[in-house]
Amino acid sequence: MIRVKGLQKAFKQNQVLKGIDLEVAPGEVICVIGPSGSGKSTFLRCLNMLERPDAGEIELDGDVLQFTGKDVPMKQMRKLRAKTGMVFQSFNLFPHMTALENVMEGPLVVKGQPKEQVKRSAEALLAKVGLSNKKDLFPGQLSGGQQQRVAIARALAMEPSVLLFDEPTSALDPELVGEVLKTMQELAQEGQTMVIVTHEMAFARDVADRIVFMDEGVVVESGPPEQVFAHPAEERTRRFLSKFLVKQ
Amino acid sequence: MEILRAIRWESLFDVELAIKAAPQLLIGLMDTIWISLLTMAIGLVLGLLTAMARMSSNPLFRYPARAYISLIRGTPLLVQIFILYFGLPVIGITLTPLLAGIIGLSLNVGAYSSETIRGSILSIPKGQWEAAASLNMTYWQTMRRVIIPQATRVALPSLANTFMSLVKDTSLLAMITVQEMFYQAKVIGAREWDYMTVFIMIALFYWVVCTLLSFAQDKLEERYGRYAS
Repeated sequence: MIRVKGLQKAFKQNQVLKGIDLEVAPGEVICVIGPSGSGKSTFLRCLNMLERPDAGEIELDGDVLQFTGKDVPMKQMRKLRAKTGMVFQSFNLFPHMTALENVMEGPLVVKGQPKEQVKRSAEALLAKVGLSNKKDLFPGQLSGGQQQRVAIARALAMEPSVLLFDEPTSALDPELVGEVLKTMQELAQEGQTMVIVTHEMAFARDVADRIVFMDEGVVVESGPPEQVFAHPAEERTRRFLSKFLVKQ
Repeated sequence: MEILRAIRWESLFDVELAIKAAPQLLIGLMDTIWISLLTMAIGLVLGLLTAMARMSSNPLFRYPARAYISLIRGTPLLVQIFILYFGLPVIGITLTPLLAGIIGLSLNVGAYSSETIRGSILSIPKGQWEAAASLNMTYWQTMRRVIIPQATRVALPSLANTFMSLVKDTSLLAMITVQEMFYQAKVIGAREWDYMTVFIMIALFYWVVCTLLSFAQDKLEERYGRYAS
């Protein structure tokens, strides 16, 4: 359960988030859409503390973190991070480790779990994303789509209560987008809580429980996909969606 | 032409003396080698710490690091070694020649390698830090597991240069009576009235050591670069 209240973030003079409120129920899949520069990536990065919000609060599984512009205590920050997993646009796999080592790294180094056990669960995760046969290859030897699936397995290895995706298919060649979306869809069906920033409207419509449309640092509207895509309540949403051809 | 005829080529290299001098020079070479290895190790640790201090957001770390780098890079190594050995006793700190030499060389390697290390760390994309942070790694875990292994590959060619310079710079320690290879050569040269043979010998020894280092560099680059396609 995530509850975000009044989240604000500015870069210098540029107010990127102007007070975001959002609740995510366990097992819910949320797709955040909106024009570039609308603050959706910044919002996602705030949830994982890659950016420090200036104001507002984030509640995750009962732990509340309030932001006042001062530094957040490291301990609380790490506690929040432990419950969130991040999948980046540019994968950010560790290039000097094999696919398997990438997936093992978190549980092994951060959680200090025994190596044999970590290896077994990492292999299971790679099997889950369909990459068992690539486990000993380095990221540089994998396609973009394969790298992103390893990155998903790496995030899953930490057993986060919510998985965050920051435009996970935007850096991929068009023919590789499908395999990543398919992996994500499978996770959604298993009940994994996910917040996904994406431009893949068809995917958002098919997989999301709820669509959140952001523009200029605020949530303009949110609702089930059929509602937001077919009958957007706000003019701004309508204008944005008109740029995409979404089959109804 | 007159000058060329005046050259006594037969005195260029005295094989008999070379054979006689070899054991003593090789003992000196061993000293040169272990002093180089020890100094490089200390210097690298110092360099890493200085690089991190230099990149710190805390001015209490950043400015001393900058001052240290500036002073060491801006003054001659020989002057630094003389200050440590001949200067410090004046204020009541007396170091043995060897200790003064090792401290001086280590400080030198530390300053030069810190800039190499800093550059190599800065060359690692921000996404690597973020990925490590998102796995909840601490700063040190990120450094040790993610950043340093990748930065090593970037820094290797430059650090190998530093190491080779160091091997040759150990000869400066002869000036403060450390009995490494160059010191031994000077002693033999003075005793036998033949500097040419012994200096050619040690020049060759330095060259061999540096060539071996360059092989090691190739091997290491291969190892750290094996993931790059």
